This record gives sequence, structure tokens and C-alpha cells, in this order.
Amino acid sequence: MSIAELESREIQLERPQGLWSEAWQRLRRNRGAIIGFGLVGTFVLVAIFAPLLAPYGPREQNLSLVREGCCPGPSADYWFGVDALGRDEFSRILYGARYSLLIGVVSVAVGLTFGLILGAVAGFFGGIIDGVIMRLMDIMLAIPGFLLAIGIVAMLGPGIWQIMIAVGVVNIPIFARLLRGAVLAQRENDFVLAARAVGVPRRTILGSHILPNSISPLIVQGTLALATAIIDVAGLGYLGLGPQDPATPEWGTMLTDTIRYLQTAPHLAIIPGIAIVLAVLGFNLIGDGLREALDPKLRGRA
Amino acid sequence: MSTNGNALVEVEDLKVYFPIKSGLVMDRHVGDVKAVDGVSLEIERGETLGLVGESGCGKSTVGRALLRLYDPTAGKIVFDGTDITHLGENQMRPLRRRMQMIFQDPYASLNPRHSIGRIVGEPLRVHGRGGKELGKTVRELLQTVGLPADAISRYPHEFSGGQRQRIGLARALALNPDFLVCDEPVSALDVSIQAQIVNLMERLQDDFDLTYLFIAHDLAVVRHISDRIAVMYLGQIMELSPADDLYDNPLHPYTISLLSAIPIPDPEVEKRRSSILLQGDLPSPANPPAACRFHTRCPYVQPTRCRDEEPLLRPLEGHLVKCHYAEDVKAGLITPRVREAVFEPGPQEPAYVPPVD
Amino acid sequence: MRTPLLTVEDLEVRFGTSRGLVYAVNGISFDIAPGETLGIVGESGCGKSVTSLALLGILARNGRVTGGTAMFGGRDLLKLKDEQLRLIRGREIAMIFQDPMTSLNPVLTIGKQLREPLQVHFGMDKSQADRRAVELLEQVGIPSAKQRLRDYPHQFSGGMRQRVMIAIALACEPKLLIADEPTTALDVTIQAQILELLKTLVSERDTALMLITHDLGVVAGMCERVNVMYAGMFMETGSAAALFSQPRHPYTLGLLQSVPRLDAGRRQKLMPIPGSPRNMLSPPGECPFAPRCRYEVEQSRQQVPPLEEIEPGHQVRCFNPVPADEWQRERLGGAA
Repeated sequence: MSIAELESREIQLERPQGLWSEAWQRLRRNRGAIIGFGLVGTFVLVAIFAPLLAPYGPREQNLSLVREGCCPGPSADYWFGVDALGRDEFSRILYGARYSLLIGVVSVAVGLTFGLILGAVAGFFGGIIDGVIMRLMDIMLAIPGFLLAIGIVAMLGPGIWQIMIAVGVVNIPIFARLLRGAVLAQRENDFVLAARAVGVPRRTILGSHILPNSISPLIVQGTLALATAIIDVAGLGYLGLGPQDPATPEWGTMLTDTIRYLQTAPHLAIIPGIAIVLAVLGFNLIGDGLREALDPKLRGRA
Repeated sequence: MSTNGNALVEVEDLKVYFPIKSGLVMDRHVGDVKAVDGVSLEIERGETLGLVGESGCGKSTVGRALLRLYDPTAGKIVFDGTDITHLGENQMRPLRRRMQMIFQDPYASLNPRHSIGRIVGEPLRVHGRGGKELGKTVRELLQTVGLPADAISRYPHEFSGGQRQRIGLARALALNPDFLVCDEPVSALDVSIQAQIVNLMERLQDDFDLTYLFIAHDLAVVRHISDRIAVMYLGQIMELSPADDLYDNPLHPYTISLLSAIPIPDPEVEKRRSSILLQGDLPSPANPPAACRFHTRCPYVQPTRCRDEEPLLRPLEGHLVKCHYAEDVKAGLITPRVREAVFEPGPQEPAYVPPVD
Repeated sequence: MRTPLLTVEDLEVRFGTSRGLVYAVNGISFDIAPGETLGIVGESGCGKSVTSLALLGILARNGRVTGGTAMFGGRDLLKLKDEQLRLIRGREIAMIFQDPMTSLNPVLTIGKQLREPLQVHFGMDKSQADRRAVELLEQVGIPSAKQRLRDYPHQFSGGMRQRVMIAIALACEPKLLIADEPTTALDVTIQAQILELLKTLVSERDTALMLITHDLGVVAGMCERVNVMYAGMFMETGSAAALFSQPRHPYTLGLLQSVPRLDAGRRQKLMPIPGSPRNMLSPPGECPFAPRCRYEVEQSRQQVPPLEEIEPGHQVRCFNPVPADEWQRERLGGAA
């Protein structure tokens, strides 16, 4: 029997399967990740279908409910209770999911895009370009993320788009560093050398060989960054740097001033807090699951 | 050892140094790893030149420098009459069709995210031969190396080490090159698979009229496939000889020591062998011994000349030998001594980064 | 004939993986006498490393011994609990591994790593242990031993680290040393030094040595007896002299035929073994080598051949063993 026949017999035992689908299989088996998907899935659905799910509008006020003082807790009509201006907490939480989702996605997208470009350029070209870019990233990283965000918002003025950009910018050096490291590692791989030996032009090597193999850590970091972004945005909102219209149903903004009511209406502080925690937890679980699923050591045959 | 003007590749005094940089804020150039330090050789059309040596001898660097994957620090590389030493990437590209490489690590030499069809087809696409015939050509290539055609849609991780080396060979042959640098192609494979790949490579050489530079550390494998063999130590060639003769008549003390260290699968032979045991570690290429590179470990070292005068690579009995006293060693006039072991003090890898193109 | 130090019978090891059960070791039996050198030779994936890990109870978490016994000093190693095994590891059975770069802890000094077994098993205090550590380093040929105790592994070369590993392994004068591919990662001239060192040390101390490797040359130079392993089973066992001059199993013959030798004629034809090593996801129901075997007969496809003695001291697992003079004839015929 020829070698080709012998070997084709063995290969036929397994279906063709790319690395991504293998990773997906592993992810599906990870219980933490499934819970994470559940939480995030709920979060996303809630954000999309908020108008259908919410019994009241987010800005609908019913001042008669708070005439005797703040604030009625959960009841049959108002599942999560009512806030200081007579608005339904439940509806506001549901609409708030939209803001958190939007903010999270936009800030991470900003950070990822610029971080990816800077990191790839620094890693691939090396030399002085690398030095300059990385020193810039180091300076940005030297300032604690939240303070940097506050600083940027101070420059741009408060508002929802401004905090999205601020949080996005804070993420840039993290992604840049990560991608640079991955690119440096991939650059020395034999298959990159093989591509050079074949005469593949440099930008094609970067785009078609190095980048696809470097993005796994970015995917993991991306989900974790989404989690952090939600917290950061909520924090900035709490400090009053977010949407200036206090009626905005953003979770962080909803937490502003609730300290006053901790004794009488703790649900006003607890419920948005729990919403934030669950959303963040969901993304973290997915991120951890992804890290394990994409681990190159577990790929294919040993 | 002239090749009668039929040389496909000529190398003259090639030096490849990698700078060692160290510093707190900015890196300063504090020294060089002299990976290749003055190598001259010629590779005849159709021959297989074997290049052997241990860690740090520079054999892989020579192979990669020949393909201009590293920039030479000094010296000249001539491919089929064209001086390619300083050519830019755009000028090199058309030449790359004729010179290719296969790599040691079957698990790192194929992009894990590309299908086999894409990997083997890439050289064709880059050089403008991708088109309707591409699929057919790729299938033929796979067949030539003994893989089934349906491998095209599969991914590297579905194949074993030996099969991946075949894929690497298919990729290297895609453009019908003249010259193939084989960088330790079988070292990472199981014994029973090594023989398959070596036999395949010999057949391909006949079928496709290939010239090989076969780089390896396993002298037995190299001897089997090569016409001539160059033995390298610390960046220089110590001996260059016809393969037939190297085992029967080693002239350089390093070659003699190397041969006696290689275990032979025969207990009777092993018992009868007198082995010359080299002491100590291999010196670091960042700080090679002066004059004769081998003098710190050479069992035949002499008090004169070895430590102050660098020997020339000179003809002797049909070989080229880089040793002052090779004739005396051959005649048995010098008895080998056990030298004092010198162990290298520090880590072997300094912080250098080979230049990207 | 001295009573064996270690007697293993019908050892079976399985691994649970996402792709199913891997039948790594499928019933091997062997023994080692004190002071003897036994070689276990085979290619990657044949189960040779797993065997030694199973004996010491240091298999990966998804590995389990599913059968067999390993009698050492009157006790079955496979049935001992971890606390009992810990007393044996390092003290009576020691192991050295392949990769000197990762087998030593990079954040501990060499001195600390040498002292550890001495302090754990002999209760030595630091100064006693240090004195013994210096002795050990000198015995493995490391100069300036006293200063070297304070160095870290990254300050040593590969060959030196392997010497340190040997020193650590021999620190407590174990009765059995298991060496798993001890020189595979080393250069040829360094390999020769380390093998010579191992040979000297084990003969001086009358330590039994179980040498696991894929390199036939190394086995030929170091071992008195050799077991050839394939797909988790021994295919042929016997003295090194017998196996190398008169291999009877087609796999052993195949290995010898496919390895280029320095002392053979240059035009020696390399006869590769066709195909690839067996997929271990199912228990063997036929001779595991049959798909690649030139000598297979009908029975090979129906059952696993038993390991039987073909000559005193020489066993083969084959329904159609190779004729005794086959290898010699080929060698002499082929030498050009």
C-alpha cells in the first residue's frame, strides 16, 4: 500500500475543521462561559427590546407616588420600585441597558481600532517607530485609567459621547501593547520566514499571516474591556460627568445622589448596582472562557 | 575543490553578525554575536552540499543568509552569476522563484489558520501564476509529495509531523525552483518517518533537477544524502570534504571528535570504539576564542600557533581543512589529550533581534 | 541472577481526553535487577514516557493506571498513596527528564534545589546539605562547585543543567534511576559527555538505570537489555547484543533499516517504515504494527500476538517473526 493511501485513510477519519470551530467546541463545553453567554444574551435582548418590555416610559413621571417622601419600593405595579421623581425603576433599568451596551461597544471599538493599528505598526516595523509608539503608550498607561478618563472628559466637556471617547482612549494602550507582543511573537515564526522566502510582500505578510494569528489575545481582552468599560462609564456617570440630562436612564447616572436615600429607599442604589454587576460578570465569564478556548497549547494534535 | 565554473551558488567570506544591544533607556550596541564569521563555499548545480555542526555553529544562519532572509554583515553571495548580496526586496522577488527553503519545525512552518490549498498555492499567487490552473497545480504538487488531493481543504493541525514536512516540500516546489535550502528538515521527526522524508527528498532531487543545501546536526543523515559535507564550528567551516571520505578519513580534530561522539546502533561497535570526549561547553558565538576557534577544546592542540594564528582553510588530501597541524594529526604524531573542561559562565542567548529583511 | 529490584506486570494506562480514551500503555511487563541498565526504546507516542510517570505516580490529571502491578521493595507502587510514594520518589527511585531548560526551577538557586531532597529525605540541616551538594556537583564534573551553589539555572548551559539534574537525582543514592530522553535536547558532543558521566556514576554506585529514548545508538552504547515499545506494548525484548544483531520483530528490523549509520556504506538504502504510528484512541484488537508490516499474516489482523520467548532471554510479540539472520544478511549485502 502506498504511503499516500495509508495516510489518506487516516486523514479521512476526521472531518476538516478549522481552528475557530475547534475553539467554539471548547467554548461550548465551558460552563462558566455558558452562564456568561446567558447573562450577556439577556442583556443584549433587553437592550434591543426595551420599548416592548418596559411597562412605562423611562422618563414618565408620576409625582403622586412620591408625595409622602421617597420612595416606594418594589410593588405589583412597579417591580423595582419608583425613583425620587416618580419614575419606574424597572423600565429605567431596561432602557439603561441600551446605554451601557452602546457605550461599551463604542468605547471598546475605539480602543481596539487605534490600539490594533498602533500595536501592529510598532510590532512589525520595530526600531524607532516601535520605540516612539511604545513610549507614548507607556505614558498613557502610567496614569490610572479612571483618572485619565476624567482628565479627557475634563478637556472635552461632559456628555455621553465624550465619556465614550474617554473610555475608548484609555483602552488604546492596553490593546496596543497586547497586539505588539503578539506580533513580535508571531514574527519569528517559521511560517512567516517561509512567506518571506516565497517573496510575499511585507504588508501581505502582516495582514494575512501575522494578524490573524495575533488576534486571539485581543478577542479575550476585548470582552474583558467591555466589562471594564461599563464600570468606567457608570463611574463617570455617577460623578456627573456623563449625560448631562439627569433624566437619562443610564445606570451610572441613576446611581447619582442615591446616597441620600440609602436608609429609606435602598433599592434605588442596589438595583442599578446589581444590573451593572451582572452585565460585567457576564462579559468576564465569556472572556475567561474565550481565553481557555483559544489557548494555542490546546490546539490540534500535541 | 573548484566546481569547474558550474557553481549555482557562490559564497565569499560571508559574515553575519547580530548586534547585542543593552541599556537602560536606549539600547546601545555593546557587541556582536558572530553567527557566521567568514564562510566561503560553492554549491555546484545538481549537487547536495551538507552543512553540519552543533549549536551556535551558524549553519542555519548561513542557509537563511543565502536566501537573503538575513542581511549579510560582510562578504558576497552570488546566485547563478548574479550578486544578490545587497539587492532590495523588489529586486529579490523574481529571484526568489528559484531559491526556496524548507524548515525544521513542522508545527511552526505552516500558518495554522490557512488551509493547505492556500499554503501551497501562495507562492503561485504571489508570482502571478494563480489563476484557473492553480487548483490543478496544487493537487499535482500534493500528489508528488505523497499526499491525497483532498488535503487541500484541510488545516495543518490535522496532519502529523511527517505529513506537514511533505506539505512544506510541496510549497517549496510550487515554483519549480533550482535551489532548495533544507534547514534541519528531519530533525523533529520520528526515526521511522525521517527515512520516508529523506527518500522523498532524494527522489524529488532527481525528478526536478534540484540543488540542495542540506543543513543538519545529525551527521549520519547528512552523510547519506550529501555529495560533499562542510563541518562548521562557531561560525566557520572547519572541514569540507566529499561525503564518502568524511567518515573514513576525517582530518580536522573537530570532525574527528564529532564523529567519535556519535552513537552507533550496534553494541559491538560501541564497545570497540575509542571515543575522544570533548570537554566543557561550546563557547558562545558572542565571544569566540581567538585565532583557531577550536583551540580551547581541541584534544590535539599545540603550544605554538594554535592560540595566536588563525589557520587557513587549505587543501589537504582532497579536503579543505582549517587546522595548522592536520598532517601531524593524520600521521598519528600527536596523541589526543583530555583537556580541562571550560564551562561557559552565562546564558547562551544574548538579547539580539535578527533584522526583519 | 540477582532478584529484581522492580517487577512490573501487565501495566495499563489510559488517558481521558476530549476525543475519547487514549490507550497509552496496553499491558507491559518487565523487571530490572540492581545495577542493571535497561533501555526502553520507541518513537514518540509509544507510551514509554507514560510508563515511568505511572510508576512514580506523577501522571497528568487525566491519566489513570487501569491495570497491572509494579512491585518494588515488596510493595506495589501503583497501589500506594501519594504520601507513601513521596517517600520513595527521590530517595529510592529518582528521575531525570529531557529538557534541561524547564526541568529546573528558574527562581530557585541550584543549591536550594540540590539541598531539597537531602533535607526532605535525610533531614540534613543547611550546612550538612551544602557540603553534600558540593560533593555531588564535583562528582558530576562541575568546577567551582561551592560558588556555583548560589547560581540560578539560567546561568548554566544546557549540558551543565543536565549534570545538575543528575546530581539532584543521585543525591539520596537511589536504587533506581529513570532517565527519560536525558540527552535528546543536547548537542552531540555534550551528549557523549553526559552519557559517559551517567555510565560511570551508575556503575560506581550500583544503581539500576532505566533509560528511555528513541535513539538506537544511545541504547546500543549504554544498555545491557533493551525493550522495544510500540503502541503501548513491548514488541521485542532481550539483550542489546541479541536485538541489534538478530532482530526478530519486523518493527525492530524496520527501525534498524531506516536509520542511516555512520559505519555503513554511503549508498546504504534507507528503508522507511511506511505509514504513521498507530492512532491510540482504541484498544488494540489486532497486532498494532500490522498496518505497516511487510511480514504480516492473516492472524496478525485477528488478534494481538502474545509476547513469547523465541530464544532464552529474547522475547518477540509476532505471529511471523523475522528470520534470525535477516538483518545480518541485509547489512552485509547492502554495504557497498
